[in-house]
Amino acid sequence: MTGPSPTGSWAGRLRSAAGAATDAGLGSRRRRARLRARLTSPRFPLGAPTWPGSLDRPAPDRGLGTDYDTAWSRRYPVRLARAVLLDNVTRPLARLVADPVLRGEENLVDLEAPVIFVANHSSHVDTPLLLSCLPVRFRHHTVVAAAADYFFDRKWKAALWSFTLATIPIERARVNRRSAALAADLVADGWSLVIFPEGGRSPDGWGQPFRGGAAYLAERTGRPVVPVHIDGTRHVLPKSGAPGRSGLHRSQVTVTFGSRLSPDEGEDARRFSTRVEMAVAALADERSTDWWTAKRRAATGATPSMAGPEVAPWRRAWALPAAPRPAHDDEWPLAD
Amino acid sequence: MSPRPGFVLDVDRSTPPTLFWHGEGFRLERLPVGSRVVYAPEPLDPLADPRSAIRHALTHPLGDSEPLPALLRPGIRLTIAFDDVSLPLPPMARPDARQLVMEEVLDLAAAAGVDDVVLIAALALHRRMTEAELRHALGDRIYDAFAPAGLLLQHDAEDPDALVHLGTTDHGEDVEINRRAAESDLLVYVNINLVAMDGGHKSVATGLASYRSLRHHHNPATMRASRSFMDQHHSELHTSNWRMGRLIAASGVKVFQIETTLNTDTFPDAFGFLQKREWEWNVRDRAGFVAASKALERTPPRLARRIFHSVRAPHRLTSVQAGEVEAVHAETTANVHRQQLVAVEGQTDILTMGLPYISPYNVNSILNPILVACLGLGYFFNLYRGRPLVREGGVLIMSHPTRPEFDPVHHPSYIDFFEEVLTETTDPVAIAERFETSFATDPWYVHLYRTGYAYHGVHPFYMWYWCAHALEHLGAVIIVGGDPATVRRMGFRPASTLADALEIASDVVGPSPSLTHLHTPPIMLADVT
Amino acid sequence: MKALVYERNVARFAASRVVSAFGSGRGATVGPLRLVDVDPPDRPAGEGWTRLVPTLSGICGSDLATVDGRSSRYFEDLVSFPFVPGHEVVGVLDADATDRSGAPLAAGTRVVIEPVLGCAPRAIEPPCPACATGHTGACPHLTDGRLAPGLQTGYCTDTGGGWSAAGLWAHASQLHAVPDGLSDEAAVMVEPTACAVHAVRTAGIAPGDVVAVVGAGTIGLTVVAALGRVLAPAGPGAVIVGARYPHQRDLAERLGATAAVEPGQLPRTVRRATRSLAVAGSVTGGADVVIDCAGTSESLAASLALARTGGRVALVGMPGRVQVDLAPLWHRELTLAGAYAYGHEAPLAGDPPDGRRTFDLALDLVASAGLGELVSATYPLERYEEALAHAGAAGRRGAVKIAFEPRYRKGRAR
Repeated sequence: MTGPSPTGSWAGRLRSAAGAATDAGLGSRRRRARLRARLTSPRFPLGAPTWPGSLDRPAPDRGLGTDYDTAWSRRYPVRLARAVLLDNVTRPLARLVADPVLRGEENLVDLEAPVIFVANHSSHVDTPLLLSCLPVRFRHHTVVAAAADYFFDRKWKAALWSFTLATIPIERARVNRRSAALAADLVADGWSLVIFPEGGRSPDGWGQPFRGGAAYLAERTGRPVVPVHIDGTRHVLPKSGAPGRSGLHRSQVTVTFGSRLSPDEGEDARRFSTRVEMAVAALADERSTDWWTAKRRAATGATPSMAGPEVAPWRRAWALPAAPRPAHDDEWPLAD
Repeated sequence: MSPRPGFVLDVDRSTPPTLFWHGEGFRLERLPVGSRVVYAPEPLDPLADPRSAIRHALTHPLGDSEPLPALLRPGIRLTIAFDDVSLPLPPMARPDARQLVMEEVLDLAAAAGVDDVVLIAALALHRRMTEAELRHALGDRIYDAFAPAGLLLQHDAEDPDALVHLGTTDHGEDVEINRRAAESDLLVYVNINLVAMDGGHKSVATGLASYRSLRHHHNPATMRASRSFMDQHHSELHTSNWRMGRLIAASGVKVFQIETTLNTDTFPDAFGFLQKREWEWNVRDRAGFVAASKALERTPPRLARRIFHSVRAPHRLTSVQAGEVEAVHAETTANVHRQQLVAVEGQTDILTMGLPYISPYNVNSILNPILVACLGLGYFFNLYRGRPLVREGGVLIMSHPTRPEFDPVHHPSYIDFFEEVLTETTDPVAIAERFETSFATDPWYVHLYRTGYAYHGVHPFYMWYWCAHALEHLGAVIIVGGDPATVRRMGFRPASTLADALEIASDVVGPSPSLTHLHTPPIMLADVT
Repeated sequence: MKALVYERNVARFAASRVVSAFGSGRGATVGPLRLVDVDPPDRPAGEGWTRLVPTLSGICGSDLATVDGRSSRYFEDLVSFPFVPGHEVVGVLDADATDRSGAPLAAGTRVVIEPVLGCAPRAIEPPCPACATGHTGACPHLTDGRLAPGLQTGYCTDTGGGWSAAGLWAHASQLHAVPDGLSDEAAVMVEPTACAVHAVRTAGIAPGDVVAVVGAGTIGLTVVAALGRVLAPAGPGAVIVGARYPHQRDLAERLGATAAVEPGQLPRTVRRATRSLAVAGSVTGGADVVIDCAGTSESLAASLALARTGGRVALVGMPGRVQVDLAPLWHRELTLAGAYAYGHEAPLAGDPPDGRRTFDLALDLVASAGLGELVSATYPLERYEEALAHAGAAGRRGAVKIAFEPRYRKGRAR
């Protein structure tokens, strides 16, 4: 007859198993498991019926992507709830991590709603930050064009972003008639629109070419475009894989509003879009130099492109402006 | 007031107790009257404008080398290798010397339109650096420009595709180094020369080498013939590296060497007492000492370790040299000596030293027993030029808790070395013969070294070889306050107090022995006559 | 005369479970085990029974589990109440008898008993196929025949057990004479050693294999001794033992282990010995055979993590209900096998052509390996609570095997 030698716990890294259960314990465990199963996957008729195998099932209408209906998020009670959230949670949080400095606010003073805000895009922080930087009369009456494939691919995500940030789905790759019509209708209805025409966050810190959607909507609705430049959010929360310490970090951000632009007589959407892109680039120039230099360069068409130099990746990265202030407070002073 | 040189104090009845480091803590010990204490020179004044000093060095190279801007042309392959996390100690406050130098080099490369640039951490068989460590050493700007694009590499001494065999020296030593470095049009090596051992041909020939190459000089015979390895001209370790370095140069690898020296401003203000002479401690220093040592007594070792490893040293640059390897290194060595050399007359029967929490191989980790031995018998014992501080057959007394604790992530093979090898023998030659190959080729260690953050399987052997000269020279080694079983396993003797240790030592060196205490850190180099 | 008797008593059983949480063996203070005055037991029905008076009777891990109310309920129907525990017995025959092979044993002869109560003691004719070939440990008739249920002497109400000064009844088929040169301490180690011998002989160890032993109590140490001797010359290449206590590691190395290390170090040492990798806490190409001598959830998990792909884990320590992740068993196609008791071992080189009785091998091994030194202390029955507490904390207290000395003579205790 053999038996256990006196031992206790084995190697520390081996998870110590719970003591042996008694039969009574096992019974109750089984009962609990049965109860859990009943609660989590209830059977018909408490749960949904299964479809007979002999019948073809029609493809479900998923109602996602550009098909997602965001009308509910613009009903009055939802708007009220969002306004409370935006002013009391989103705005303080955005200020906590990004500490935004606003420039060119004078350009918004006598601006009549609705308008189309067009901004560069490098971080998820951009949207809540920009919303919280808008004057009150815009802030609670603005929708944000968001990529249908990213923010509207699950029911819960679609509902979450529609509620918190008043997003509407648009397709980034091409102009989708349904989503364009929705945006145009909303603008016509008095809603301002935030749109990031780069079609996604910057992968390397440099700008990407603007797509034509914003200019198209301006032409179609006749409302002005307000160029916005957001600088520094890539240091707050970089896109994964983009340069920068991953995760959320407090860093200073500058948001510069430009003066409104409207398409000239006979100017087509593509040329207007280029003008909008140059206007945002001029704001970027103003951020890194000064207003007067930027102005003179814009006048002579010498505004540096936001796309950065076309050289080897390391030199593109090397040419990026440094973080807005020392990322670390523990530096020893370098004599200058 | 200009910094005072180091000196040797003769202990008399009015000498206050002497500070001993003791791992993550300190001891105050009253040394016998007549003992000597070697104090390090005070930190030199740093360069007033390090950035322009670096620029000047790059454009006015030493020896037979063109200025760096003339070497940078569009279309060349440029590799910049840099010293790894083992330097400096403790890690220096931002910006790190490597960051300052490399930013200047990269500005020049960007201006010259060099597109093909790769950065390599020259870690030989050390562990890979973490993202936080790389960011600390290189700065965010460099990290963000190179790491996401896969251009910031860490030398992999076990990747057959990333190594190239350049030939064998006339002593039959294989020279096998990093392929990218060897096949670049220009290899820039950025050094931090914390001690006189660092730099020179050792940078490339060791930092970028493979095990096959390293074993020719990382062995007991070489280490016993390096007296000391801090003195390049009497060090077989360096002679071998110089042979390899010359072969590397002769194979057409163009090396532009940049060496920097730091002053010995080692601890921040809160720990100012650590680098002051005890009789000059003011109220603040004494309060700091009492507060720190009382608090540390009550702090669990794990937490104390974390606190100490977050210390950033206020080291500052004292010189920058750039150009051809040997010319640069001669100048650098002179600058290291200017900061660290202390003249000491005559040897001693007993040498005492307090070992701190850190060595080159446990940054952000545990100073395990093998590293304790290496720090005391390898590094501190060898901080001499001329003759060892302690006479042949003398006794070395070290103070350290020496707990049997190991970092399983960084030092996996150390655990097995401690359990499997030291239980059999502590003789470096026997260890090398019986066990080295089995550890060096163990596939699991190789895997952890290449993909995790582990030192190579053979690294604990090198630590033990580092002790070989001291083990051969000394009559006994005593560790004060160390875990007795652990200390005994390494072949040393445990003592609970310094008085006990001196009692044990007198059995070896006879009654009324002479005693010298090496008051380090800060680091110094004893010039023993 | 005094004897320790284990009675069926639900309340005391429950109490012993609770109290044993404070230390193995502590269940004795409140449990169903009581020291009582008994008359010598009646002779069981059937032929071939002889009474013997135990000199020493060991405390086994399974005894502790019983005393503490921790043993598996699987055994509930394999015992009969009330019973006197004690199946590791060396004693002196009261009367003339014969041994298993029919050789005469004079009254006063020292014997050890093979406690399994198979077909022969139960007078079942014809014997089951297992008993017919000598594999008494595999006998399915543990509850029927002419005896009350009981898988071994020490669990059967009819035979009595070793923890008694009043003696017990042993069947001729159970008797093995103790050679004169062997001390009582060595003899009491024969039964546990036989378990180890059986486990080692049936573990499928090929010459040169790396064998890991998890646990170094009595079973672990006797297994180590067996690994070094009962397979020779075709023994394992390396025997690596994980043991919690320093004296266990010293003994393991003295008994022939290649290396004896702390449990936390065991995976590292096995990995080093087999030059394999480690993934997810398991050694990828670990030991060929792992022998679990503890039988706990932790030891079984450790054992599964140590075996190579296609390797074998043998459970020698008595397990109860354990909770263990079987993913490594499935993924690395391990064989998990039990090893119970003893019987007849298939021949190896040097054995007689029809093999040898496990007990005979064990008698040789106990003598050649000097296993008598594993008996750390002996106690009179009166101090049973102390004895069981000592046995329950044997490792911590630097002991291995604790035994009762029912007719205690002063000055014997070590």
